[in-house]
Amino acid sequence: MNHNWNFVIAGYAIVTGTLLSYAAWVRVRARRLRRTLPDESHD
Amino acid sequence: MTARTWKRLFLAATLVALGATAVFALWVTPPREEQGFEAVRLLYLHVPCAWVAYLAFGITAFASLLWLVPRTRSATWDLLAGASAEVGVVFTGLMLVVGSLWARPTWGTWWEWDARLTTTAILFFLYLGYLALRRTGATAAERGKRCAIAALIAFADVPIVHFSVTWWQTLHQQGTVFNPQLDVKIDGSMAFTLVLAVAAFTMLYGYLVLERFELAQLEEGREERELQHAIAERVRAERSEQVVPA
Repeated sequence: MNHNWNFVIAGYAIVTGTLLSYAAWVRVRARRLRRTLPDESHD
Repeated sequence: MTARTWKRLFLAATLVALGATAVFALWVTPPREEQGFEAVRLLYLHVPCAWVAYLAFGITAFASLLWLVPRTRSATWDLLAGASAEVGVVFTGLMLVVGSLWARPTWGTWWEWDARLTTTAILFFLYLGYLALRRTGATAAERGKRCAIAALIAFADVPIVHFSVTWWQTLHQQGTVFNPQLDVKIDGSMAFTLVLAVAAFTMLYGYLVLERFELAQLEEGREERELQHAIAERVRAERSEQVVPA
């Protein structure tokens, strides 16, 4: 009897995957935009 | 230390807090038979997601209010409102999905149209609409005004979501901590893990909003440049037309 571990694994996988994907999307998009603005410093 | 170093340190602290939360939530805390045995571990995701959603939409509403007041009006508030709302929508979506995963083994259903779930679904779609509104073509001032008003209207649903379990009879349980009797129904390692999870998710929210805000600034800068470029092209074209004899 797995005592509903499958639901737990699904929940943690979905949350981790979604948050990592969102953070990566934001960072990649920002990096691409910074490349198109080479003469400006954003740090 | 530079701002970038501070941001990296904050990200490292956030990841440590999230890692500790995962260890406590998955290994240290006990299962609960009446909460779906091991499925109770989803509580340490569901509650922090709900908290972050409230916080995110609260900050969106506050920043929108500051934008609407002429004395404090600044593009920064508009961009912050948009960044916070987007992160809030991500966490609201996760709250609904994790809640549904918890409901299946404990309630026997993925979804029930009770007051808490319905008002939360409405909240999700209200802020999706808000994000769509932000993408409609308009000047920064027009967009700022219509989005600020929309954000304040949408925020009215947040207290309705929170108090729905008190105002109506719902399948969803009452607040574990913030209930009308202020009777905290959690203790020991479960309480500690829940507090840790809320702190870790709040830090993650802060990091994500910071990143999204910086991206919004870059997008705004690019739009401004494209507009300036288009104006310069138009002026150049009109001048060349005047120079060429008919």
